[in-house]
Amino acid sequence: MTDYEMTSCLSAVADQLLKEVQKTYQEKTQIPDDLLIALRFVFGSCALQALDLIDKRSVTCVSSFSGRRAYQVMGGSGLLYTCYTSCHYCPCPAFTYTVLRRNDSLLCKHILAAYLSQAMGLSQQETVSDQQMSSILSGRAAATDT
Amino acid sequence: MADILTLVFKNYINQSGKPKDINIITPSKCSTLVVGENVINRSLLLLAAVTAASELGLKVSFFTQVQIQSLPGSLQDDMSNLSPENLKKIKFAYPNSLEDLLQDVASLHEPVSGSAAPPSLIVVDGLERFLRVPGLSGALQQAELASAAHIAALLFDTAAFLTASLEERAAELSPCRVIASFQSEGEGHAGGDPSASEPILSVLDRYFQVRCTLDRDLLSAPGARPQDSWHVYLSGAGIKEASLTKGEEDPNLPKEWHMLLQKNGSMEFTPV
Ligand SMILES: [Zn+2]
Repeated sequence: MTDYEMTSCLSAVADQLLKEVQKTYQEKTQIPDDLLIALRFVFGSCALQALDLIDKRSVTCVSSFSGRRAYQVMGGSGLLYTCYTSCHYCPCPAFTYTVLRRNDSLLCKHILAAYLSQAMGLSQQETVSDQQMSSILSGRAAATDT
Repeated sequence: MADILTLVFKNYINQSGKPKDINIITPSKCSTLVVGENVINRSLLLLAAVTAASELGLKVSFFTQVQIQSLPGSLQDDMSNLSPENLKKIKFAYPNSLEDLLQDVASLHEPVSGSAAPPSLIVVDGLERFLRVPGLSGALQQAELASAAHIAALLFDTAAFLTASLEERAAELSPCRVIASFQSEGEGHAGGDPSASEPILSVLDRYFQVRCTLDRDLLSAPGARPQDSWHVYLSGAGIKEASLTKGEEDPNLPKEWHMLLQKNGSMEFTPV
């Protein structure tokens, strides 16, 4: 398998797993041990760090009048990271180093926290103006700055 | 987006050759990265923008740092398609820096709240001008990778959002495609995959499903100057998909073309 095929195969497994989390959480409002083990297996140490971020209610789903959405995740250091809803991207150093540069992992804890909190219905919601959304998407501003 | 590029190749096909059957080109959501020399890249992007506006009636947002001085020869030959009405569908913007480009692309969702339709094609000419800072090493090079991922991911996310909004508003104008160009540093060295030595290209490849590579054709056609003869080929995840579902590339369309640059600057394509 090439790197690319490996990655797309892994992300198919990851997608499946996130769907499983969503379904199970809706039924039982908790994540059973076997799913936790699977999350750790697929996402490594990111999994527990992401769940920790969710416990602290660090994920906000921001939306604007146009219907555009984005995730804002408050990192451990208090910095706010904007992640997109349709593809894997995070401005944090771990994403640049482990995902982009070394190709060691699929995503960082912030992206995983955004997806998991969405699947579990545990993200905060915030509405902003279209112009504020543009600034958030471009990395110029964080929603809470304005 | 490779649907529009394929339409360009077909429109400017070499008449003397035996044209392959290229009938229906199905719309494709795949975004395309054109990798070649910046002057050729720009001409191809302009052809794509004009073809999208005049033949498909699509709105185009065209971002470049270089003022467009003249139209490629292919367009000068064939002015009949270029009514002012059609050209008005193309909106040019000249962001000065990566920050300006990010801001411009990030605000493309704003018209959706009003009555104006969003663009169906986003073109970014010369990504390398926005991304590359000369003489970088180590930590700064890492910042370059992060910037490349940021703009590529934003383009991807914007196209995904605008596609959904076009589908609701006017399905015939969907999907929203992205085509961007990048001049690889290894340009001019024949053979080999440039992304192996250029990490920035492999980052861009994560977000662009199709790559259109323009290589100098060293075994050029008889009579042609080597600098005028190009090998054009489509590759990437969007191309590999063997089965055709809605929004994917048609596996039956030619993936490889030979492009001959005429003296007046016009391009002529022959399927390989
Ligand atoms: Zn992150």
